Amino acid sequence: MIFEDGAHLDAGHHPHRRIRAACWSALLCGLGGVTVSPAAEVAAGSDLAPPPPFRAPYVPADDEVLQQVPSTTDPAVTNMRQLRRSPDAAPQSLPAAKTLADAYIDYGRQVGDAHYAGYAEAIIAPWVRAATPAADALVTQATILQYRHQFAEAREYLQRAIKIEPRNGQAWLTLATLDMVQGDYATAGKDCVQVTNTAGVETGLACSGNLRSYVGQARQSMAVLQQVEAADAAAPASYKAWIEGLLAESAERLGDWPLAETHYRSALKWLPRDNFLLVAYADFLLDRGRPHEVTPLLADHTQSDTAFLRIALAQAALHGDQSQRYIWIMAARFEALRLRGSDYFGREESRFALQLQHDPDTALDLALRNWQVQRAPWDARVVLEAALAAKRPQSAVSVLEFLERTHLEDPILEPLYHQLRAQLATAAGRQ
Amino acid sequence: MMRRVAQSLVGCALVVWGLSATRTSHAHSASDAYLTLSAVSVTPASSGNVVIHGQWDIALRDLDFVLQLDDDGDGRLTGAEVRRHQSDIEHYAYRFLKIGEPGRVCAIKPGRQMVDDHADGAYAALFFDAVCPRTSRKITLNYSLFFAIDPSHRGIFVMHGDKDVATALMSPDNPRVDLSF
Repeated sequence: MIFEDGAHLDAGHHPHRRIRAACWSALLCGLGGVTVSPAAEVAAGSDLAPPPPFRAPYVPADDEVLQQVPSTTDPAVTNMRQLRRSPDAAPQSLPAAKTLADAYIDYGRQVGDAHYAGYAEAIIAPWVRAATPAADALVTQATILQYRHQFAEAREYLQRAIKIEPRNGQAWLTLATLDMVQGDYATAGKDCVQVTNTAGVETGLACSGNLRSYVGQARQSMAVLQQVEAADAAAPASYKAWIEGLLAESAERLGDWPLAETHYRSALKWLPRDNFLLVAYADFLLDRGRPHEVTPLLADHTQSDTAFLRIALAQAALHGDQSQRYIWIMAARFEALRLRGSDYFGREESRFALQLQHDPDTALDLALRNWQVQRAPWDARVVLEAALAAKRPQSAVSVLEFLERTHLEDPILEPLYHQLRAQLATAAGRQ
Repeated sequence: MMRRVAQSLVGCALVVWGLSATRTSHAHSASDAYLTLSAVSVTPASSGNVVIHGQWDIALRDLDFVLQLDDDGDGRLTGAEVRRHQSDIEHYAYRFLKIGEPGRVCAIKPGRQMVDDHADGAYAALFFDAVCPRTSRKITLNYSLFFAIDPSHRGIFVMHGDKDVATALMSPDNPRVDLSF
């Protein structure tokens, strides 16, 4: 049987592998006589095959809790439901659509659920497709694309928005973030100037404060961010959490761990369930040799893939009896992502391959591919760690040169950098 | 000046979280559903109809978003709540799956509904038979579940043939697939 048209996932691929994530239950795979049991898959690669974490399709008991879903006791959820009525009532109103789309994006980001970016995209789509789209609609679309790591497309939308409305502060701020993510700090600096001109001095200062932490000026970064924070004690919680999160990162750049922890905790006081902050703090705890604190921190966030990876890393560090099970499920989640054609988890996948699958070559390939699209300190770190483990220092040269060029301070990257440089020098000496 | 900025931040959440360069990785995979069709049989032989067996796994989270399955709103979707909404789920889902062509439409006969666990949560497993008149060696499948409310939804389609397995990724840009026998 063949498909005459339609999108082929991967025509040449072995079907067992392609459908593995689709078939959690032997029954589903067994429909056509193909049997791939999860236990068999694990057993093939490991002596420690845990019991399969999934069962065949079943009829649940009435009181069995099947799935956590957004609760209507959460004000953010009721707010979204109310906002959902606005575009229905006023389909011609861009502000109504944009408010709902922004609420979806914000909620999805907080709870770590990409579905909401999709809902936002559907809401804003008619405005993006308009013959003469408003800049705001294009910026929202760019934000969604950036969230999905579709950076090139996001940039196009932002450039279009700025062409239509050169004083759109949000467009400049989003572009500044994009340039920082991709390691183009000179351009990001220019973007921050535009942010100051269009969104105000404080937002511009926050922009340049963030930027400084990537170019060897973490101390100045902290001073600027503290100034921004002190400027308005009445700012909303999300704003304070954001600044505190940036301060925590800058403190990490300086290797001031107690200060970084104070800022992480302070940020989480403002936004206790923010997925990005929780995951960044979990990474901090893992680095500090405190894996036992990670599982309790993220216990309510296992639906988030990024949080789940940190739990799996913590369990492995603790040699927990469930650690193989976490690794199996994490692998399954990555496989599900691949099935849908997504590859924007390179940073996470590389860590998974190196630290949990002990496959440095795969980790290095993933890290290098990820490095082509994003260049934050963690993106550099996964390349350096994998290059060392794979004993392929030459592969990390472009990252080493980037670190030299940007003067990024980072007490974790620094020793990795020196080890790789030493290995390269030794190799050169041999020739 | 400060007040103006604070107000602009209140009014525009994007300003707050639009800038955090190291924390861009998003966390949860987007919406997927898994549609699996099995080997074709002709039953009864005299009718000449082609019967395709199907299983369609749709995330309960996604169904809750459109159908609000969580009756008591406590954020915990139970077996009883899902069972209560089985016909809503069925009516909703099958509107977005068309098999066959005009004049040669396959009748979709819903069967039992169960729950299937996937790596990212529990899914409703909808079993069905598609009964197609055997007038062509080609059957077209049109898939549009959730595309209108979430263009990032993907239908992961697996077709088990007599000897092989074929897969396709259904998306708003690729909602159609032709099956040849």
